[in-house]
Amino acid sequence: MRLAELKDKLSLKPMNDVYDKEVEGAFVSDMVSDVMAGARPANVWVTTQTHKNVVAAANLVDVAAVIVTRGRPVSDETLEMASRAELTILSTDLDTYSLVGKLHEAGV
Amino acid sequence: MATEACRHSWSMTDVRYGFIVVEKCYHCNDERSYFAAEHVPPKEEYREGEHFWDYMGSSQSVQLNLKCEQCAEVVDLRELLGLMTCSGCTDECDLNVLSRICESQRIWVYAALTYDPDVEMKAHMAEKLAVLSQYFNDRIRTEGKKILVVPGWLVHDIDTCHGSVLRDVGMFEVEPEPQTT
Repeated sequence: MRLAELKDKLSLKPMNDVYDKEVEGAFVSDMVSDVMAGARPANVWVTTQTHKNVVAAANLVDVAAVIVTRGRPVSDETLEMASRAELTILSTDLDTYSLVGKLHEAGV
Repeated sequence: MATEACRHSWSMTDVRYGFIVVEKCYHCNDERSYFAAEHVPPKEEYREGEHFWDYMGSSQSVQLNLKCEQCAEVVDLRELLGLMTCSGCTDECDLNVLSRICESQRIWVYAALTYDPDVEMKAHMAEKLAVLSQYFNDRIRTEGKKILVVPGWLVHDIDTCHGSVLRDVGMFEVEPEPQTT
């Protein structure tokens, strides 16, 4: 599934430009060390964390996008870094549990 | 390191979760960091020669090795404390200069922080970091993007560097208090 399609299906709000990439699976964690060791390229990374290190870790693993749950605000600094890395940050008011259920229903 | 017979396909192995612990000698004010693969960060003061090491703080991190799926060669990365991105704080820093040059070519530079390197370790680390770069690059799906892991000693002054280390700070506030008798 493409990221743009997933964004529309789940009504996810883009916080920066959408860099449409293929999505294969999801990884759920609030720890960058976990992502470095466990996430796979093309995963969407579901987290409540929004600091700059999220972008650095996501970029290293080459995840398809970061989805921030519970409507947590994302700083301009983080978004600017994400755009430089061609990494989409999506936001939802849903909590992580609810979003993961919807990702599963959507076939991710 | 790379044998001619094998083109190497690296995967992570021996993943160890733990802590980057920062400690300071209250005798000479020297500071150093190390990785502790334990459930809680060790906080005990201890003496080592002339030094009296005191716990300053810690953050959760991960260590790993790389193993070739073809020939089973293992690259031991136990010297690696963590990866860091440049925040561009000074033009005097080689990491900053390199990061800016590379970013224009969609190459993302990460500095590998290690224990205080000696000459022999420096020579080996260059090879190991090339393998680590290859590991990440072999997995990248985004066309034209590359990862370059470089030695941390490119940083002009690690004590004043504002770079972002990939670690989890403040994620372990519910750790048990040390038991007192």
